[in-house]
Amino acid sequence: MAIKDLALAVLPLLAVVAAWCAASVFDLVPGYLLPSPAAVFDAGWRYVWGPAGQGPYAGRFAGDLAASLSRVLLGFSLAVVVGIPLGICSGRLATVDRLAAGMVGGLRAVPGICWLPLALIWFGIGLKTTVFLVALAAFFPIYQNALTGARMAPPIYFQAGAMLGVSGARSVFAILLPLAMPNIVTGLRLGMGISWAYLVLGELTGVPDGLGAAIMDARMAGQTDLILAGIVLIALIGRGCDCLLVLLVRCLCKSARRQG
Amino acid sequence: MAGEPILELVDLSHYFIHNGQADSVLRHLGLTVGRGELVCLIGRSGSGKSTLLNIVAGFLKPSQGQCLLDGRAVGRPGPDRAMVFQEDALFPWLTVRENVAFGLGGDGWPRERRQREVERLLALVGLAGYGDHLPHALSGGMKQRVALARVLIRSPRLLLMDEPFAALDAQTREEMQELLLGLSYRRQSILFVTHDVGEAVALADRVLLLDRASGAIGAEWAIDLARSRDRNGEGFQRLCARIHRRLRREPADAGPSDVRP
Repeated sequence: MAIKDLALAVLPLLAVVAAWCAASVFDLVPGYLLPSPAAVFDAGWRYVWGPAGQGPYAGRFAGDLAASLSRVLLGFSLAVVVGIPLGICSGRLATVDRLAAGMVGGLRAVPGICWLPLALIWFGIGLKTTVFLVALAAFFPIYQNALTGARMAPPIYFQAGAMLGVSGARSVFAILLPLAMPNIVTGLRLGMGISWAYLVLGELTGVPDGLGAAIMDARMAGQTDLILAGIVLIALIGRGCDCLLVLLVRCLCKSARRQG
Repeated sequence: MAGEPILELVDLSHYFIHNGQADSVLRHLGLTVGRGELVCLIGRSGSGKSTLLNIVAGFLKPSQGQCLLDGRAVGRPGPDRAMVFQEDALFPWLTVRENVAFGLGGDGWPRERRQREVERLLALVGLAGYGDHLPHALSGGMKQRVALARVLIRSPRLLLMDEPFAALDAQTREEMQELLLGLSYRRQSILFVTHDVGEAVALADRVLLLDRASGAIGAEWAIDLARSRDRNGEGFQRLCARIHRRLRREPADAGPSDVRP
């Protein structure tokens, strides 16, 4: 059964790759628009493993990855540090909710990309602009899901806690956060996903390093194979970050580990 | 009933404010539960049974009157008056063992003593060996056993039960009633709310009727049937019939509802 499920999951992917192979073997699409899978793999391989000097991009990967990861993690962490406490407070305290709701709702109506010109003026090209865009974009799903989780927490659990001697501030950590945990995890995963989207956006603006910068450079040089390789790499790394995030939260919080 | 009272409600009144109008639920109600006594409170829905229990637990502040535990006014909710709810209120992210230990909190109990205490309670409610299960893997009856163990670990002065077995099947309900009677033999004081007359007569030392029309205790029956009561026995049936007759004299659903503000 598991093998069948796996086969079903892989089948569409194989079909796409097969169509792609056919397109390049029979020369249906010119190579500068869609290079062959082998060329893309080759470009990717040299980008990741090739010794420096063996081509324009060889050996850049480690530096690009470090730059991109640090931007994502920095922006994402900022969004978590502000989003979760503010969301939890808004979910439980009517005054905080009223104070925050208008502001957050207004900001959310602004498409994230609109901030780019302003961010470039404020922060210039580089780390700060990207981190700002990532933090802003990741904030909304994290805040909103934490808020929903906190608001939906059934009062009976707080009554149960109170009669067992756990109330007030202690109940926040012992009861409220565990109850809201499934929503918090959803918010974190959505936030992580959108972080990668805005990372690439921030890196397309002419920063010297980063995965987004690498594919933008490849466009200048007309290296479609490296663009495609970069896209695949960003997808894989984004997926990897999602898995690591889930694993990390499960290690840290019992309540994320087991809720049926 | 013999023994000094553990719980005394004196001239207790409570009203909810609905659209600016006061909806009174309890009016000048008086009630006592003796030490080691099992008192069942029955009444039609909307008679204020749950309100009364919530006041004793400290979840609600009475509009008027006094609620005394051991002669002292009750304040905020605490482990001395622990409640078993009708619905499942176990913490879903904690195992059975962790749920039972929850009330021990940061009391600085030595680890070994804590564990021993938890195992003792699990054995008492018949769940030895289920410590590592999560609540969602348990049946309704087992969940209520855990809920019972969770409050008993703090040795409550008074155990409050809000129709705890109403959602269980008949067989399981009888097993749970046996378990509760076991606690009662050990002189645990219990205030038990139910709308099931048979259950009240099977369990109680005393049955009290909360009268919806007057908002106070309308009738009281001391149950002097011998323990391990035969539900098909003549005395049992006659008493049930008498209480049923009295319940039917209550006005039908028209008064204040169970809706909470």
